[in-house]
Amino acid sequence: MTTSQTAIEDAVRKVIEQQLNLAVHGHDLGPEDCLWDMGMTSVTCLGLMLNLEDTLDVELPESLLKESTFRSLSSIVAAVESARVSARN
Amino acid sequence: MGNGALGMFLAEELIERQVGTVVVVGPRAREAGASQAAGAMLGCFGEVTTESLRTDASRIRFELGIAAHDRWAGVLERLEKDSPTGRPLQVATESHVILNSIGADLDDVNFAAMIDALKEYEKPWSEIDPNDIPGYKPRLESRALRAVHLPTEGAVDARGVLAALDVRVRAAGMTMVDQTVRRIVSSGDVVSGVELDDGHLIEAGKVVVAAGAWSESLARTAFDDNAENEFDMMPTIPGLGFAMVAKRTGGEPFTSVVRTPNRGFACGLHVVPAGDGREYYGATNRLVDQISGVTWMADVRFLAQYSMQQLDERVAGHEVEQWLAGNRPVTLDGFPLIGWLPVSGLYLMTGTYRDGFHCAPLLAEHVADELQGKPGIIDPMFAPMRKPIVTRSIEWSIDEYVKHNLAAWFETGAQAAPQMTTAQISDYYRNMAVQTYDKLGIDYALGPDILWYVQGSLLGARRIARYLRRHRGLSAPQAQPVSAGIEGGRR
Repeated sequence: MTTSQTAIEDAVRKVIEQQLNLAVHGHDLGPEDCLWDMGMTSVTCLGLMLNLEDTLDVELPESLLKESTFRSLSSIVAAVESARVSARN
Repeated sequence: MGNGALGMFLAEELIERQVGTVVVVGPRAREAGASQAAGAMLGCFGEVTTESLRTDASRIRFELGIAAHDRWAGVLERLEKDSPTGRPLQVATESHVILNSIGADLDDVNFAAMIDALKEYEKPWSEIDPNDIPGYKPRLESRALRAVHLPTEGAVDARGVLAALDVRVRAAGMTMVDQTVRRIVSSGDVVSGVELDDGHLIEAGKVVVAAGAWSESLARTAFDDNAENEFDMMPTIPGLGFAMVAKRTGGEPFTSVVRTPNRGFACGLHVVPAGDGREYYGATNRLVDQISGVTWMADVRFLAQYSMQQLDERVAGHEVEQWLAGNRPVTLDGFPLIGWLPVSGLYLMTGTYRDGFHCAPLLAEHVADELQGKPGIIDPMFAPMRKPIVTRSIEWSIDEYVKHNLAAWFETGAQAAPQMTTAQISDYYRNMAVQTYDKLGIDYALGPDILWYVQGSLLGARRIARYLRRHRGLSAPQAQPVSAGIEGGRR
């Protein structure tokens, strides 16, 4: 994993933890933990998406605005990286 | 651009005025357009809700409907002879609005608001025994205990009216192009025509975008190569609706429009006589990301089951002849977008949501005036590049959202645990709405249908949040709070 990838993962993790209030519940988020199983709702997901895009200055393509993209830390990181690659090209 | 009701009535108006060469571009089938799927109730007061007269802006819009209503007698008189259907274009001359207990108290307050409006505007109406409505034979548990007769609010055959307009404008020598538009062509800040999807170019000094739910994306193409002008119009959203035309196989036919008040994010359940023993049943309303002509199984069930329960038991045996799906153009603030765009010669005429067909003759007159450089006949408040019109507070919006959800909850027969109260269901929806505003970070209060949409659409939520955050005058962005806890259960 590159420094850039680590930075993205750290930023995504922070937003997820804030949006799902994980610290209060003492949960240590694993990369494959299913956020939907951890209580994420469509409304939480909405806030997660908006915060991610603001924080990371990225726009996820329409094709990625779906439930599976926001399944886990790793799926979100993959989506952000994909969007950044697309934006560069 | 656009051959729905707005485009066709405008074309007819321009031909009548002999203003020069007029070309209408639009696919002949009008697939997924709102007009071809419309029930075309000529209703003003039957559509009234508590919101209709609550603000000046709402009242102005409501009175557009009244002014439009007055024009329909003349419209039918001149179109009837051009109708190719062999049936009268006017399919009903009166309406009955029923109040049953299937929904929630949203029905009650809208029913009361309708009566108040009828009194205020001194329009004819009477309260009658629901059992006296011809054709009205609901399941007993769904029967109405009150009904209002509106003797001047009927309905027209939408598809017949469009066909008559086709005949009329062609006979007058107007060109109808069975195509879709790829882009609007402009030179600098001046429109010069449109490029069709097949590559042909139509030159024009003035272009009117009246393409319903497609209008926003089409108008945007005029700005693609125009660095001087940014296109930052409020978002419009397709309101996908489903209706069906069925042949009656028995029982007493409906002879009037029979409908509930507007309820549960939509236009209420209604039946419209369609001629030749057929009846139009409508309609659902879902705000969606993309225009389509799909019909959801849930909507089929909704319409079939509740028409049978709430309107006439015999509906179950009707033969469905047509499945109609159309996309209404819904604006962020719920008001139309009518006026010049910031490219010279380019005009927008859309955002009419559920009453585009009814208002089309009036709007055609107004737009024709403006195209000719004359003063228009409607209030300029609907200019397309305006900021969203404010009609409610956030708290009001949340209350409305709760009321609409409760109406939908009870109408669709949703089941709660026996110990769960209506207040608790309300609290659930209230919390959802509060959280949604919290996450969106906006202070512009949305209508209940828009709020429902953004909760279920990441794309829609992003479009709307970004637009409103850009327009700080009305929607000062707030710091994104991140304090919300883990909400219970996935929707």
